[in-house]
Amino acid sequence: MDRAKQLFLMGYQNSLGFLVEFLEFLGGSFNLLYASVLSMFRKPFYFRLFIEQCYILGVKSSSIVFITALSTGMVMSLQFGFGLERFGGKLYVPKVVGLSIMRELGPVLSCLMIAARVGAGIAAELGSMNVTQQIDAIRALGTDPIKRLVIPRVLALLIMTPLLTVFADLVGIFGGMFISSAELYIHPDFYYHEAILSLKTSDFLVGIIKTSFFGLLIALTGCYYGMKTQGGTQGVGQATTRSVVTSSLLIVVSDFVMTKLFWIFERK
Amino acid sequence: MRELPTKKPLIEIRGIHKKFGTKVVHRGIDLDIYPGEVLALMGGSGCGKSVLLRMIVGLEKPDQGTITFNEQPIESLSEENLVPIRKRIAYVFQYGALFDSFSIEENLAYPLREHTDFSEGQIHEKVMTTLDRLGLRGTEKLYPSDLSGGMQRRVGVARSIIMNPEVILYDEPTTGLDPFNTQQILKIMLQLKKQGATSVLVTHDMHAIFSVTDRVAFLKDGQILALGTKEEIQNSSIKEVNSFIHGEAY
Repeated sequence: MDRAKQLFLMGYQNSLGFLVEFLEFLGGSFNLLYASVLSMFRKPFYFRLFIEQCYILGVKSSSIVFITALSTGMVMSLQFGFGLERFGGKLYVPKVVGLSIMRELGPVLSCLMIAARVGAGIAAELGSMNVTQQIDAIRALGTDPIKRLVIPRVLALLIMTPLLTVFADLVGIFGGMFISSAELYIHPDFYYHEAILSLKTSDFLVGIIKTSFFGLLIALTGCYYGMKTQGGTQGVGQATTRSVVTSSLLIVVSDFVMTKLFWIFERK
Repeated sequence: MRELPTKKPLIEIRGIHKKFGTKVVHRGIDLDIYPGEVLALMGGSGCGKSVLLRMIVGLEKPDQGTITFNEQPIESLSEENLVPIRKRIAYVFQYGALFDSFSIEENLAYPLREHTDFSEGQIHEKVMTTLDRLGLRGTEKLYPSDLSGGMQRRVGVARSIIMNPEVILYDEPTTGLDPFNTQQILKIMLQLKKQGATSVLVTHDMHAIFSVTDRVAFLKDGQILALGTKEEIQNSSIKEVNSFIHGEAY
């Protein structure tokens, strides 16, 4: 009985600790966003740093996004082809693949990969800078770490994640086309017509709006955990893990919320 | 140094209280720092010397009390309003805190690019002059990871003094350094003192304290236990001060 009580108390304390930590994260990242918005319109503007981050966070992520999108498109084609063939619905494969990739899988899977690569990178870089007092040095030298470190990363991800998603959508649909043609014997012209031309502008916009939001989440989470890192190399490791786990969970959960909101909005 | 108290303090610290969680660091610190003097903050590890130094440049806020620089309160200033103060007060970090993705030249050029309208040519010239002054010429294209710990500290000093600040705060600048690098740093501190710069030095290095400082403040239990000229501190009758200087338990 005592053991059961002990386990219950431990579980209760862990849940409470998690809740407190999550609330701290929400407050801290909101403060970071607020400070970033306030600083964004004040001089100096670090345009060069923004371009650098677009390259580091965006362009350099294109290969993992390419592989993820291509594999997803191919797998989707195979799975739906296999499933729908049983009901004589093989010709619906292009539409289903196009719609799923454009509205859901392109944005979510690309951003999960970006969160793993970029979110971890941001938290590790800023975390190392924090534990070696480089962020203090930025402040002591009369400059603003939010302007130099946070804003370029947030803006770069806000802009680059939708661009990467458009790229992922196209690659995913192409992957689906390739497998449909090779394995399901669906003609590429038919696939193209069904997959691309039957999509609506709203299908495209839903994906773009979602990914901008995911980009913001990844950047803020990485910057928040990086800038509050303490405790040397172990702290940097923890910040990196927390950043990836938190941003991935936030992407999945907010994806559901946004999908539901778009669904309500589009049905009106 | 007897005439110091008749001058007007450049930095006035009044009634500083600070705690981190349950750990009380400062319990009412009062201290005046006069223009042109070198003041050492001495005391055991964890007694709040570095925290006090960080407060002077606004990197840390006190829970209670005031810090004024040229009669301007620092503790209530926002990060944005602290910028003009930080151009006049330089901070030398314990391990240099150099930007590891920048070359040595870029590290030194950083404050000049941020706060002056100098051309790239003028910046390069100023960087080279400062590197020369610290015996670091030839390192400009290297990265911090290419340098020894002692050289990194000297680059840290160079970056801090490149804007010709009025006040320089040194956080344990010689701790763990070999005699050559220690001597180089003490030499530059003396040069800056001759030029009229005010310096505050946090250190455990008795040689540094007694070779470059004018006054010494001894911190214990979050308060200033002793304050006086270096001779007064050396000959202090306070048991804790004496024991600390002679490396005994106190």
